[in-house]
Amino acid sequence: MKLRSIMGIVLHATRLLLSLLFLWLSFGWMVRKAKKAFEKELVKAGMAKKDARKLSVWYSKLKNEITQTVKSLLFAWR
Amino acid sequence: MTEKEGGCSEKKREKEEKEDIEELREVLSVVSKEVPALIKGIIGSIFSEEAGRDMGRAAAAFYKELKEAGLPENVAVKMTEGYMSAFMSLGEVLKQAVGGGKKVESKELEKEISRRIKEKLAEKGLAEKEEDEEDEG
Repeated sequence: MKLRSIMGIVLHATRLLLSLLFLWLSFGWMVRKAKKAFEKELVKAGMAKKDARKLSVWYSKLKNEITQTVKSLLFAWR
Repeated sequence: MTEKEGGCSEKKREKEEKEDIEELREVLSVVSKEVPALIKGIIGSIFSEEAGRDMGRAAAAFYKELKEAGLPENVAVKMTEGYMSAFMSLGEVLKQAVGGGKKVESKELEKEISRRIKEKLAEKGLAEKEEDEEDEG
């Protein structure tokens, strides 16, 4: 019973860590897709592609800010 | 303390330990489901393809209005950039939340997580109770 509970704890902790790791890794991919969709809408409205790309840079900036914030959080926690 | 009493307290301690481990297992099982889903929801609300499309549409509508009003291309683009920078404030809010208002933000997140855990545990408790009642019946 005790062993089963401990194994359950290990399993759930592993699952949690893997889920968080997967989210972290897929974050960049999600940002890329969002940027493309964003640029597409702007180009549809008649904006030049280079201007649309310039505007979509804020997505990357926001992603970098969030990443930096999370990293500083982790280091502060340690 | 007699041997019998010592043995009883030992058993009691073991029982409490088992209960603690069991409780930890249940809490972790709920946390391992809820926390990633919560984070995914938060990220998805801004960084999903659909969210990008919606923000693009909003910026495009703003840009179109400016062009229709007769503004030159470079001015319209600059103003749309300014319009988009309002969304950048989310990054600042996050920085403040972590740096300055850290306690407030983390407390709210803690409350939300513990609320969800309690709900799930209550559901589990209810389900087990019903099962026990069915077995007895």
